[in-house]
Amino acid sequence: MERAGIPTALLCNLTSIAERVGAPRIVPTRGIPYPTGDPSLGAEKERAWRRRLVERGLEAVATAVHKPTLFPVDRETE
Amino acid sequence: MRAVALGDQTTYDAGTLTVSSAEAAALVADPALAEVRVSWASPGDSTRIVKVLDAVEPRTKGPGGGGIFPGFVGPAMPQGRGTTHVLRGTAVVTAGFLPRAQEAVVDMSGPAAPLSPLGTTHNLVVEFAPAPGAAWEAVYEALRNGSLALAARLAEAALGATPDAVEELPGLPDAGDRSLPRVAAITNLQTQGTFKEIFVYGRSFGSIALPTLIDPGDLDDGAVVSGQLGHPSLKNPTWVFQNHPVVAALRARHGVDLLCAGVVLSPEPVDATNKELVSAHAARLCKAAGFDAVIVTKEGGGNADADMALKMDALEELGIPTVALYAEMAGADGTGPSIVVPPTKATAMVSTGNYDERLSLPAMERALGGDRVDVAAATALDAFELPAAVVYASLSPLGWGHLTCQEAS
Amino acid sequence: MTTRVVHYINQFFAGLGGEDTATVPPASKAGAAGPGRKLAQLLGDDFEIVATVWCGDDHAAGPEVMDDLLALVRAAGPDVVVTGPAFTSGRYGLACARVAAAAAAEGIAAVACMHPDNPGIDEAGTAPVVASGEVARQMGPSLETLAAAVRKVAAGEPLGADDGRVGKIPRRNVTVDRTSAERAVALVLARLGGDREATEVPLPRFDQVTPAQPVTDVTTALVALVTEGALVPDANPDSLESARATRWLRYSLDGRDVLPAGEFRSVHGGFSTVWANEDPHRIVPLDAARQLEAEGAIGKLHGEYLVTAGNGTSVGNARRFGVEWAADLRRQGVQAALLTAT
Repeated sequence: MERAGIPTALLCNLTSIAERVGAPRIVPTRGIPYPTGDPSLGAEKERAWRRRLVERGLEAVATAVHKPTLFPVDRETE
Repeated sequence: MRAVALGDQTTYDAGTLTVSSAEAAALVADPALAEVRVSWASPGDSTRIVKVLDAVEPRTKGPGGGGIFPGFVGPAMPQGRGTTHVLRGTAVVTAGFLPRAQEAVVDMSGPAAPLSPLGTTHNLVVEFAPAPGAAWEAVYEALRNGSLALAARLAEAALGATPDAVEELPGLPDAGDRSLPRVAAITNLQTQGTFKEIFVYGRSFGSIALPTLIDPGDLDDGAVVSGQLGHPSLKNPTWVFQNHPVVAALRARHGVDLLCAGVVLSPEPVDATNKELVSAHAARLCKAAGFDAVIVTKEGGGNADADMALKMDALEELGIPTVALYAEMAGADGTGPSIVVPPTKATAMVSTGNYDERLSLPAMERALGGDRVDVAAATALDAFELPAAVVYASLSPLGWGHLTCQEAS
Repeated sequence: MTTRVVHYINQFFAGLGGEDTATVPPASKAGAAGPGRKLAQLLGDDFEIVATVWCGDDHAAGPEVMDDLLALVRAAGPDVVVTGPAFTSGRYGLACARVAAAAAAEGIAAVACMHPDNPGIDEAGTAPVVASGEVARQMGPSLETLAAAVRKVAAGEPLGADDGRVGKIPRRNVTVDRTSAERAVALVLARLGGDREATEVPLPRFDQVTPAQPVTDVTTALVALVTEGALVPDANPDSLESARATRWLRYSLDGRDVLPAGEFRSVHGGFSTVWANEDPHRIVPLDAARQLEAEGAIGKLHGEYLVTAGNGTSVGNARRFGVEWAADLRRQGVQAALLTAT
């Protein structure tokens, strides 16, 4: 998708694999079975976490990159 | 076992096992099951077993099981001492529809037969109908507990017989024995909860449990039981844990050019942070135990490769040479990248074959476990093509099989 | 008996011109043409180039002409299909690789010739590729390598590095005497003996992706949600596979602000789906995306999400899904995507 010109934020947990296979825009998440969630947080905090992940993804697709780049959610803004 | 039959009573006589259908069904019976049927499928039969759930080798340590399958049949205590009676060449096989299970096929003849551990054993196939309204979890538990009890009962039928063979297995070497390299196995378990979990001493081994060291003899006595219903070719059935191929291969060289030094059980967590933690911890454990080299195995698909790569790298960092068993996922034509996550510090990998390569299965006269093979859009009796990935335990991550990949011309 | 050879070249080597004629459609003529004449000499009397097939580079790079090219190849009744040499020419190399791959897939012996750095080299499927020089000036030695390879391929003999073979070599399942576990023990003993090289599995090579340009303003952009987490309507109406997916699906998000538990579930076979089924937004974050859309942080959410199951999916199929998703999304004006992966 990136090659075809669509900037794509990859939200995933195994970021080392994503980097190794060359995904350009990577948003680290917390678990393989729940890329946009974290069941340990409780409903309200989990929704806030998901929102931050999506916001980070939007920042990623609006940022120029030249190689696999991580866009982690900043801890303070969780 | 040289011959099997169904009869009025469960008996063993000179290599022939006769099973009472009524007794077998009664051992598996449970409020969650409306019906239980047993039938034999033997090597060479024109029989296909579909929807295979698990396979158990009949074993006992004495009347009433005597401690076999600790935590299920016997008390939850370490085993691996004394005598274990084994009905070699047999398996109790549960087969049928469960909602989270992935299709797994065994052919008793034809080209797929030698690829599965069950293609060469006499299989007492347990089929079932769930009770109306029963929870699927309860159906699964009934099948698991019933097949373990049945396996123990079958082995008891031969308690009075003279064994055809007696194997004396080495115990763990003395802590100070440095006469030969101490080589251990790390056995990764894909254990994530109901329908996708592994039991150790009857307890579900948690997805973030810390790696633990066990005596290989415990495996012989069924301390590790599979509850993994996914990954047909990349799972480790109970039967394979009982016959842990890496332990068997290490024992075969024990005292010759190495010492079989132990087994580390490790979960495969579902997130990168815990994968890194348990891998680092497993490496420390191996160092503390004085292992000179380690063989790492997995269960499951691509993300389980990460668990092996992390452990290989962590061990090599501590100066412990490591080998891992990988299944290749190179596409149907074998030209794709073979593995998802290779190690970076050492690259000694054994290939258990290409998961994607297709094979042609012949038509069969009899099917057990179900009527259809949906992944092939065919009836269970039809001839069809399947990737090796659907043949039960064909790419055995624990190294049971004889497949590997080579470059074609 | 004479071995019948069909030779594929591009419009330039067919003598039709360079970039100005890069759009000529697939065509063929009897006998050898261009570099095929020298190739025929090198092959000698046991071989005959019965037809030369060509196509303009612009067309040949697209998969849609492959059927036409293969029909022309087939019509000449070849025993062996030979393509190139393509040197480092990208579009020509891609066409040479794809024609050889398509012939090999039909059971026709085939060999392609190009420089190891040609970007088309990985498209040759199971057909072998032998090395050419970098530029057409090296035609002579390249044809000698190719002619020797054609003789071997026609005789059903394997090609190896000594024959100039480059590119991917297909890996096939074979049965060996020792179990995998026994081989692992032998390998561990070799490692203890100091051998750091021995392995049965070569390290994979992944292709490099040039990142797309960023979107200039997300607050006006059309953004799509896509996933390999196998989230589908509860009944799985289109029977998405739980493993080794061969296809992808699309489900409408029009008029939807949430994906309720019970209405959607994941059929992914690679992990426990308990968490996904408790709350499908853990796989497709529609709730958060709708909120951001309402607040103006996203211009507009695309009206459907695209989904497949990424569990034991071959890289070949995964690459195809990516190409198809990109084409589909571009047609509909999507400017960016959020891809959730398990």
